[in-house]
Amino acid sequence: MSQANIGSGFGDVTTLTDWDAELSELLEKLWICIVWNDPINLMSYVTFVLQKIFGFSKEKAHELMMQVHNEGRAVVATGGREEMERNVQKLHEYGLWATVARDDKI
Amino acid sequence: MSNFERKGDVYSLEVTLDEARILINVVEQLLELLGEGDFFHHYDASDPFAQLMSLPNEVVAPDDPVLMRLLPNGYAESEDAGDFRRYTEGSIRSSKQRALREVRTQLAILVDNGSAGTVEAVDADTWLLAINDLRLALGVRLDIKSESFDFFESLPDEDPQKSLFAVYYWLGWLQGNLLDLL
Repeated sequence: MSQANIGSGFGDVTTLTDWDAELSELLEKLWICIVWNDPINLMSYVTFVLQKIFGFSKEKAHELMMQVHNEGRAVVATGGREEMERNVQKLHEYGLWATVARDDKI
Repeated sequence: MSNFERKGDVYSLEVTLDEARILINVVEQLLELLGEGDFFHHYDASDPFAQLMSLPNEVVAPDDPVLMRLLPNGYAESEDAGDFRRYTEGSIRSSKQRALREVRTQLAILVDNGSAGTVEAVDADTWLLAINDLRLALGVRLDIKSESFDFFESLPDEDPQKSLFAVYYWLGWLQGNLLDLL
């Protein structure tokens, strides 16, 4: 990205385009790890696994588990793609149903 | 009725012979479904060379709904899901097999002796993971929904689904029992 050209006048097209490019580059890097609800896993087990994998406090893990239970899904982590894939791999090892997705909230 | 016990950081499980037999039965069936090799490997499956040697060009999603639940897609989009499966399915499968094998080895001591007893030195994580996979497998076969309890309870005793559900329900109790001790 070229340097922001402050003071070069209104509507500096080059700077805006670069800003846009950088923003979309940043968004490319944002991925999420989603845990989905299923009728089999015990609620206490889901809480245990979230604590185990992500190091959440019991309260935080319980809150996310309840979100999965009530809303059908919860985003449990955000970050780089490879990191989210490692999370999903661990969640699958523990038997939770999880997927990686691009963060589309922004 | 079996239950887990905890003394400090040491866990154990007391089981009747019937319970140990039921448990080892479902453990072995799931190991077979996961495609357990019938010989002992001297190499470690997590060894980088072994992984490189055995990394297939493509791993297709399993047809069996139980396997699909145990080894689900990691992405909604099929192309990404395929890549993810290619790189991760082997080690996820190994981790499940490892837990089931450990549970099997510990139970086999009692079952082969033909006696009730105590499974000593239970690794809580390993047992939780294995019991959970057993519940997932049975739950998918039984098509468990959140409101299934009343349905299975209402079945006549001679319905084979009812006894399968009883095992499923018991495993849930057992897993909850261990989770309570953590």
